[in-house]
Amino acid sequence: MLSRPTTDQILADCRSELLNAIDAAISDPAAKIAIQMMENVLRNCAMRAAHEIAWMREETNDMIAFAERVDGSAATSAALTAALRRHAAERSDSLHLDDVSSTYGLAGECLSTALEAALAAGDDELCAAGRALLEQRLGHELEIMGEWTMVGRG
Amino acid sequence: MHDIEHMPGQLAAFLTERDGRRSATVVGYEPMVGGYSRLMAKADVEWSDGQHDTFVLRGDPPSGKAMIETSRDAEYALLRALDSTSLAMPAVRHYDATGDQLGTKCIVLDFVRGSSLQALLHATNDAEQRCHASDLVDTLACIHSIDIDAVAGTLAMPSSWDAYLGGLIDRFRQADTAHVESVPFLRYVASWLDAHRPPPLPLRLVHSDFQPANIMVTPDGEHLMIDWELAHIGDPREDLGYYNVYSSALGPNLFMSDPEAFLARYRQRTGFSEDAVNMATMGYFSSLAAITVYAQILTGAGAMATGHNCGLMTTYTMNALTIGHSNFLQGCAARADEVTV
Repeated sequence: MLSRPTTDQILADCRSELLNAIDAAISDPAAKIAIQMMENVLRNCAMRAAHEIAWMREETNDMIAFAERVDGSAATSAALTAALRRHAAERSDSLHLDDVSSTYGLAGECLSTALEAALAAGDDELCAAGRALLEQRLGHELEIMGEWTMVGRG
Repeated sequence: MHDIEHMPGQLAAFLTERDGRRSATVVGYEPMVGGYSRLMAKADVEWSDGQHDTFVLRGDPPSGKAMIETSRDAEYALLRALDSTSLAMPAVRHYDATGDQLGTKCIVLDFVRGSSLQALLHATNDAEQRCHASDLVDTLACIHSIDIDAVAGTLAMPSSWDAYLGGLIDRFRQADTAHVESVPFLRYVASWLDAHRPPPLPLRLVHSDFQPANIMVTPDGEHLMIDWELAHIGDPREDLGYYNVYSSALGPNLFMSDPEAFLARYRQRTGFSEDAVNMATMGYFSSLAAITVYAQILTGAGAMATGHNCGLMTTYTMNALTIGHSNFLQGCAARADEVTV
């Protein structure tokens, strides 16, 4: 396959065409709003294409490390142990997007369960560590989102 | 409503049949932009007796194309019930309950001459915004002062505040369970909110999408509340929190410009105590209140992932989920002196 231009570059080019050529040729207000929304979605997709596999893999490793830490503490729960077992049994090292996403989902369940266990135990240190992972996840979401406002509302 | 070319004729036949005496001619019909969840259109009508009317049509998008799924039947029943209250709203004229005549279930309302409060806020200075802030609080207080018996037949009545709040918090967990992948923010937030419950308030009518774009302002300054599809009986602070969250994403945020004055006026208008309405509870409900809209958008995204939904609106509004996650986390950390969104 040809890897360059990369997918995010191609999407950015489509976005540019949409804004500079197509938008200028359209006057219908509803269509213009749709173009602004598409521009935003293309920007989101470009950012995801560039980073999502790496981000999901990094977060997966961090979520599992945290879940194992909670599981090894007095805060652990049966639900957490089960979630970790399921992740171990069903995880994949494949880098195909669907496989990465599935493994990421399994790790997300481990994080959810670990956070619930840490909160139930009142372990502030574990809660802070788990919350930091949510902040990390949010940081990636915000990078994907970029500048966003509700187009056309008003 | 899905077939714009034929809508003038269909609408004219519908209005003529409903009127029973006069025949209608639709002389103007145009889709309205800005509505995210439902199809909207404006229609100019000439009647056989020489009268003119302008209507707004509010209908469901085609199946599989809705950003969120809500019931037009329930919304129409609520609007009818609210007709008997002191709340100012556009008059409800007709309802095609089957969609046989207008192509989709569709509510027909009077068109409001004026503009949305959101549009006004974009064009006003700070002094004018302070006036709008007072009016906004009064509109909110008016909704929260309605006797819920007036709408009890159209909306589910929670058994108690405790049960209601517990159910609302559980919606975070349910949203996570129902989604196609784990969303770790949700159960964390649910656990935190459960452990930090605020003092109770009487259950009231909650609009649930209380934002300036849903307030029409007439030329004489009257506020008319629209878009009731998510309304329910609940904790009135949900609307306060939702307003704060929404207006931080699409400003200006009239609460943040003077938070204490905003809350003081609301308490004065509703009679609620400072124990229940303060900066800390505002932070709490800023996190909690967004779950209604959030869960709807997440459901749409999940349906797209499984091939049951499609459309630009679904993908475009997924960014609102990120804003929700940001709010959830901030609300769960907020102390009384640091309410932000």
